[in-house]
Amino acid sequence: MQKFLLGCACVVVLAPVVSVGAHHSPAAFDRTKEVKLVGTVKEFRWQNPHTWIEVIVPDEKGKDVLWGVELTSPTYLIRAGWKSNIIKPGDKVTVVVNPVRSGEPSGIFRSLTLADGRVLTERPARLGTPDSK
Amino acid sequence: MRTLTAAVVIVGLMASACSPSQPASPQTAAPAASTPPADTGGEGKQQSALAPATIARLAKAKAPFDLTGNWFIDVSQNPEAWRFGPPYPKLTAASQVHWDAAKKATAEGKVYRDDIGQCWPAGLPLIMTRYWPMAMVQIPSAIYMISGFMNSVRIVYLDGRKHTDPDIIVRTYNGESIARWEGDTLVVDTIGFRGDHHWMDQGGVAIPAGEQLHIVERIRLVGEGKQLEIEYTMTDPEHWEGEWKSTKRFNRVDDEDIQEVSCLPDLNEHIRSTTSKTQILQ
Repeated sequence: MQKFLLGCACVVVLAPVVSVGAHHSPAAFDRTKEVKLVGTVKEFRWQNPHTWIEVIVPDEKGKDVLWGVELTSPTYLIRAGWKSNIIKPGDKVTVVVNPVRSGEPSGIFRSLTLADGRVLTERPARLGTPDSK
Repeated sequence: MRTLTAAVVIVGLMASACSPSQPASPQTAAPAASTPPADTGGEGKQQSALAPATIARLAKAKAPFDLTGNWFIDVSQNPEAWRFGPPYPKLTAASQVHWDAAKKATAEGKVYRDDIGQCWPAGLPLIMTRYWPMAMVQIPSAIYMISGFMNSVRIVYLDGRKHTDPDIIVRTYNGESIARWEGDTLVVDTIGFRGDHHWMDQGGVAIPAGEQLHIVERIRLVGEGKQLEIEYTMTDPEHWEGEWKSTKRFNRVDDEDIQEVSCLPDLNEHIRSTTSKTQILQ
């Protein structure tokens, strides 16, 4: 049974500022909250400047809600082990996001757990530094 | 897509123009008697930085350094190093209203006039410190900079030209950049900016960049050629008092090339924070 855990999954996150790779201001997101989305991939777009995922997540009443998840660019995701075919429509996934402050079903990516248990983040190596190799 | 294609063409042209074994192109051959003379605009008209004659003339003097490479803002000590403040200069009243509005918006969980997020160009100075590398290709007459962020193109002329007459200059977000060498320093002077949808910061800090914006960059190659240091001196009397100074370091990136990046019409339909209720667009 899929569960929509908005509210009960909110925790304080001691995260660095994540403006990495964003073409837009990160101020729209509440960095102190995490929302865990358990649902089904509707679409995954591997593109510049941002990769994005749309996930269908049932709410408390069982109604499907389409969540938009914003990720950084493929350049950084590749460095974190991603591939363009790592998820596809219909896949069951768990995605953790920092939500937008307005309460709309949208957030910026924190982690992805695949059906086989693998966990992916987008923590990038910084370009131009020794750890970028 | 068109922008990157243009950039690739430019680089291709530069490569061919720099080749010492390149035969004279048909375009430089003497016209046939029946062919009307080319419109050169008269004697003294500024020639293209890519004209073979321009490159050949300037190639005689060796440049103190060559910036060719990919450069990325050094955020190893501070992830916010892409910003040009704090410290910020004393703002004018025209600028303070935007500063205050952005602070109020942030306190309310909103985003004030994030034009870059709405696909307007970042413009100078922010285009230099995006979280994408900046590819630079230097030839004797110019440095072509192509940002990995939206493939924004910036041309820094080294051919001794003067700034364009203010009556005919076409204002842009990266401005018109003309440079000269001062010893081991390249001094770049940039004016001719667009004064709308152009900001000096992003993400909770709103300071407009206006048409009076004037930026001087003093560029040095340091760290045995692995770092670029740029000292910024920026004035815009419409928006702040005196000189706004900031020094940035950029690291050479040798294991990445820039890619094609566009703010496509459907991008923000899916990057939903940019169209959410958090946005204050006007």
